[in-house]
Amino acid sequence: MSVTTAEKPAVRTTKVLPSPVTGQEIVLVGVIAILWVALWVSTPAFMTAGSIQPLLVATAPVALVGVGMTIVIITGGIDVSVGAAIMVCSVLTAKLLVDAEVNLGVAVIVSVAAGGLLGLVNGVLIAYGRVHAIIITFGTANLFLFLGLQIFGSGTVNGIPGTLAFFGRGQDGRTFGVPHAFLITLLITAAAWWYLRHTAGGRHFFAIGGDAQAARLAGVRVQRRVLLAYVLTGLLVGLASCFVIAQGTSTLDQSVGSGKELAVIAAVVIGGTSIMGGRGSVLGTLLGALLVQSVASGVTQLGWSSQLSDLFVGIFIIVAVGADLLRARARRSR
Amino acid sequence: MTATAERVRQRPDVARILLTQRIPLLAVLIVLVVVTFFINDAGGYLTAPYDFDYMSAALINAVPLAMLGLAELLVILSGRGGIDLSVGAIVSLSGMVFGFAYGEWAWPLWLAILATAGFGALCGAVNGFLVSYIGFPALIATLATFYAYKSIAIVINNQQPISTPPIQDLFSLSKSVELPLFGQYIPDVPLGIFTFLLPTVVAVWLLLARTAYGRRLYAIGTNDVAARWSGLPVRDTRFKAYVYAGLISGLVAVVTVAQFASARPDAGVSGSGMALPAITIAVLGGVAITGGIGRVAGVVLATLLIVWLNAGILLAFVGNEGGQYQLLALGTVLVFAALLNGLTNRRYGGTS
Amino acid sequence: MADKNETPRLRLTAVSKRFGAVRAIQHGDFTVRAGKVHALVGENGAGKSTMIKIISGAEQADTGDVEWDGAPVRISSTTDAIALGIATVYQEPQLFAELTVAENIFLGKELKKGGRVDWNAQNERVVELLEVLGLPAKYATATVGDLSIAEQQQVSIAKALSGDAKVLILDEPSAILTDAEIEVLFDVVRRLTASGVAVIYISHRLDELFRIADEVTVMRDGRTIGTYPIGDLSVRQIAHLMVGEELSDTRPHREVPEGPAVLELRGLTRAGKFRDVDVSVKKGEIVALYGLVGSGVSEIAACVYGIDRATGGELKLNGATETLKSPQDAQKKGVALLPANRKVEGMFGFQSIAFNISAGHLKLLSRFGMFVDRARETKVATSLIKRLAVKTPSERQPVNAMSGGNAQKVVLARQLVERPKVLILAEPTQGVDVGAKEEIHRLITELAEEGTAVLVVTSDLPEALRIADRIQVVRGGTTTEEFGPDAKQVDLLAAAAGGSE
Repeated sequence: MSVTTAEKPAVRTTKVLPSPVTGQEIVLVGVIAILWVALWVSTPAFMTAGSIQPLLVATAPVALVGVGMTIVIITGGIDVSVGAAIMVCSVLTAKLLVDAEVNLGVAVIVSVAAGGLLGLVNGVLIAYGRVHAIIITFGTANLFLFLGLQIFGSGTVNGIPGTLAFFGRGQDGRTFGVPHAFLITLLITAAAWWYLRHTAGGRHFFAIGGDAQAARLAGVRVQRRVLLAYVLTGLLVGLASCFVIAQGTSTLDQSVGSGKELAVIAAVVIGGTSIMGGRGSVLGTLLGALLVQSVASGVTQLGWSSQLSDLFVGIFIIVAVGADLLRARARRSR
Repeated sequence: MTATAERVRQRPDVARILLTQRIPLLAVLIVLVVVTFFINDAGGYLTAPYDFDYMSAALINAVPLAMLGLAELLVILSGRGGIDLSVGAIVSLSGMVFGFAYGEWAWPLWLAILATAGFGALCGAVNGFLVSYIGFPALIATLATFYAYKSIAIVINNQQPISTPPIQDLFSLSKSVELPLFGQYIPDVPLGIFTFLLPTVVAVWLLLARTAYGRRLYAIGTNDVAARWSGLPVRDTRFKAYVYAGLISGLVAVVTVAQFASARPDAGVSGSGMALPAITIAVLGGVAITGGIGRVAGVVLATLLIVWLNAGILLAFVGNEGGQYQLLALGTVLVFAALLNGLTNRRYGGTS
Repeated sequence: MADKNETPRLRLTAVSKRFGAVRAIQHGDFTVRAGKVHALVGENGAGKSTMIKIISGAEQADTGDVEWDGAPVRISSTTDAIALGIATVYQEPQLFAELTVAENIFLGKELKKGGRVDWNAQNERVVELLEVLGLPAKYATATVGDLSIAEQQQVSIAKALSGDAKVLILDEPSAILTDAEIEVLFDVVRRLTASGVAVIYISHRLDELFRIADEVTVMRDGRTIGTYPIGDLSVRQIAHLMVGEELSDTRPHREVPEGPAVLELRGLTRAGKFRDVDVSVKKGEIVALYGLVGSGVSEIAACVYGIDRATGGELKLNGATETLKSPQDAQKKGVALLPANRKVEGMFGFQSIAFNISAGHLKLLSRFGMFVDRARETKVATSLIKRLAVKTPSERQPVNAMSGGNAQKVVLARQLVERPKVLILAEPTQGVDVGAKEEIHRLITELAEEGTAVLVVTSDLPEALRIADRIQVVRGGTTTEEFGPDAKQVDLLAAAAGGSE
C-alpha cells in the first residue's frame, strides 16, 4: 500500500493467533481426566507409578510417529507404511546392537537415518510421482516388510543388549519417575507444535492441505513441503523404533510394528486432525494416543479382555470425527 | 513439444493399448509370469514342478482375495474417497457368527451361510450409514469399524476359535474336485472356486455391467453432483455399495472358516490383515481410487496375476524366503501400477 | 473530472487478442487514472474478461501498446503485473479457510523475525490495511472459514492491496453481495481511491456504476466503443451502447395456444436467495427468466427442480400445488432441468454418451426395473443423437473428449428421454459454439411446438429475446417486469441492470 496511517491503529488486538488449544483438545483432556479418576476409584492400583509409567512408555512410540503422521495428514496425505517402516528400523537397529555391539548414539543415528531414508522413498514417489498417497504407501508398506523380513533372516533377533535402556521401561529409562521415552516425545511434540504454529514453513503445511494449487500460486513450494512431511515422519519412525526395542524384552520378533499404522492414524484422528487436510494439531495427537493407551491399560486393570480396548478405539474415532462433522455442518449452515 | 507429440503418434498402438488399458496389460503380464515360471521349471530351478496342476491348486488362494477385491471394487467405485478398511474385521466377526450358528447351534448349513452373509451385510450397512448418510470420510468410518468389529470378534468367544466337528468337516469344501464332462482333461479345481468365487464374480459382474444399480454406482462415482442433478438416489446407492461389500465379506468368512476348518477370531486381521491385499488387488486391477472407473475383469485378472506369481515365487525360493519375495513382488507391482496410472492420466488422459 | 493532461497510471492502446479463430478483442483502448474508479461494461462475450486478463498478465495481447506512468511496459505474466502494482480480486474469494486473515494475506511472503513468523508485525500491517479499508481490526486474527462470503471478499481486497497495489481490478465484486454488503464494498472502494489507488470496476449492474464509478468504458463485439464520464450517461444510454444497433427481429412470431398454466410460481421465496417470484408457463410456451449473474435467477431454477426447498410461496403444476422434495420427485412430476454448470452438474466425464443420456431414466430403460435393456438404451441414445445432431462416430464415445456444444447436446438429450411436461433450461448455450447454439435454440422451439412448457433461465440477453414468447426480468432476487417478444434489448438490459427510471 502506498498509504501510511499517521497514527497507530486505535484498536489493537491482543490475541495474535486463534486459541493455541482447540476445543477437541480440551475435551480430550477432560475425557482422559475422567477416565483416570474412574479407573483410580475402581482400581486404586491404577494411580501408582507402577501403572502410570508403563502407560506413558507405551504411549510414546505411537504419539511420536503420530507427530509426523499429523503433519502428513495436514498436507492432505496419509502414510500407511509406518508400521512396516518401524519393523525395518527396529530390526536393523536390533541386529546392529547384537552383531556390531554399537553404542546408544550410533544405534539412534542409524535407526533415525534408516527411517528418514524410507520416508524419503515415500516422499519422492508421492510428491513427484503425483500418485495418491494411500496407494503408494500401501505399496511401499509391502516393500518395507520385505526389507524388514530380509534383515530378520529367520525368526527372531535374540539377546539384544540393554544399550537402549535409556528409553526403556526400567529404572535406567526414567528421571524423577518420568520415562525418558515419554519425555522425549513430549519435547518433540512441543517443538513440532511450535514449528507448525510459528514458522512460515509450518504454516505452509496447512495451506497445502487447504488448497495445494492455490498454495503453489501463493509461492509455497508444495512438492518440497510434501517431501519433507514424509521424511520427517520417517525420521520419527526411526526414533520410535528405538523406543520399541528398548521397551521390549531382549527378543524382537517379526510382528514388530504390525498394525501400528492404524493405531497411529487412530490417535491422529481422535486428536482432531482432519483427514481431509488443512487442519490438525500435534497436541491433539499426543492426547489421542494417551487416551487410547489409557483405555487399553484400564481395560486390562479391570480384568476385561485386553482386546476390548479396540472397540473403544473404534467408538472414540466415531465420536471424535462425528462431533467434528456436526460442527462443520453447523458452520456451513450459518 | 511437437517432437514429443510426434513420437507418441509414431509409437505402435500396442504400446498405447498396454499403457492405457489395464485388462490387456494384465493379460500380457499373466502370460509373462506363467511362461517365466514354466521356463524356470524346465530348467530345473524350482523346488517343485510349476505345472497346470500346481497352478490350479494355487487358485484356492484366489477365492478370498478376488472376492474381497470385488468388495473393494464396489466401494471404491462409489467415489468420494470410497474405501473399506474393515473387510478383514468383518471376515473375522462374521466367521465367528458362522462358527456359532453352524458349529455350536447346529443350524442347517444353508441357513448358517445365509445368516453369516446377512450379518456381513449388516456390518457393511453400519459403514454405509456412517459414510453415506452421516458423511464420514470412508477411511475414518471403516478404520473405526475395523477396530470395533475386530475387537468384538476376539472378545465374543473369549479369544477362542470354534472348531467343533461340523466345522472341521467343512474342510471338504476346500478340496479340489474333478469337473464333470471334460474334467478328466484338465486339472482338478478347488471346490471353493465354484461354490463361492464364480457365483460372486458373476453376481458382481451382472450387478455392475448389467443392472440399473451398477449404472447408478458408476454415475455417482464419476460425478456425484451431476448424479444428484440427474435425479439419482446418491446416498442410497453409495450406502448399498458398502452393504454389498459387507455381504461379500460375510461369504469370505464362510470360505475362510472352511479353509482353516476352524472359526478363528483373528482370521481376517492377523498379520497385515485381509483389507490391504484386497485394496491392492483392486488398484492393480485398474480401479481408480477417485471413483467411477474399474471393472470386474480387471480385479479377477489382477488376482490371477498375483496368485500365480506368488505360487511361482514359493517354488523359486527355499523356506520362508518365498513369502518375503511375495511381499516384494506385491509392493513393486502396486507402486508400478500406481505410477502407471499417474503417467497415463497425464499422457493419454486416463485409463479405461 | 480528472485532469486530462495528467499522465495516466495505465494506458492500453489498440490492443488485440485472438484465440485460434476467435477474435476476442479486435481493438481495445483503455486508460486508467490514479484515484479514479473506471468501470468496464459490456455484454457476455464482448471482450471484458480478455481485457482484464491482458491487464493482469494472465494473457498477452497480440498487438497494441501498454504504458505504465507514461513509460512503455510489457506485462508478460501475472508476476510482472503484480510487480508493477496491478492486483486482481476475483469474484470467488480464493482463500485458505483454516488460516487466519493475516496468514492468508501474508502466505508465501511471511514477515519473519529470527526464524519464526512475526505475528505481531503481520497483524499490525493487516490492521493498518483493514483500517484503510474501513474494516474492523478484529478481522486480522479471525479464521477465514468463520467469515461470511462478503467478509471474505473484503479480505481478498485487503490481500490484493498488501502488495502495494496501485491498480486494483474488481471483477464483478457485487454479484455475490447483498445490498448492505455492497454499501461496505463501495465504502472500501472510495477509501482506496482517496488514497490514490486506481480501481477497474467490472459489473453487470449498471445502476450501481452511477454511485461508484468516475468513468465508464463500454465494450461490444471485441471493441471498446468509447470512454465516457459517468455523469454524461444514463443507464439507458449505457445499455444502448452495450447492445448497439437493434437488428430487426426476423423470427416469425409464434402462436402460443391459449390454455391454463402448466407451471406456475406464485410468490415463491427462498430466504436469502430470492423472494416473491411470479412466473407462469403455458403448454407449448417458452418463457425466459432473464437476470444478471447474482440476481437470484439460477437459484430459482434449482428450487423449481427440487434441489433447494422453497421457504415460502406456491409452486403449481397443472394447477395443483406441489412441494418438490428432490430432483427425483421433480422428475416424477414431469419436471426436467438442464443444469447451468455443465461440467460440474451435468456431465459424467469419462462415461459414454449413452451412459450420460440414460442416467436418470434407468427405471424406464430396464427390464423388470433391474437389468438395463442395452438394446433399448442404444436405440434411445442413437435417436436422440440424431435428433440433436450430436457429432460423434458412436454412442459409446466418452463425453469428456467432446466439444462444449456437443457435450451440452448430450446433457440436453438426457432431459428428453422421458418427454417432460415442464423443461427448465439453465443457461442452455453457455460455452457453446455458434452452430450448436443455433441448433439448441431450434430444438427448444420444436419442443415447445410439441407441447412442452419451457422455462429458459438465462443471463444471455439475445438468447432470451430470440427464443422466448415472454420474458420475465429478475432483478435483486425477484421478478420485476414482463416483456413480450418484440421488446428491445436496451429496455431489457436497462430493466435487469436497474435503470427503469
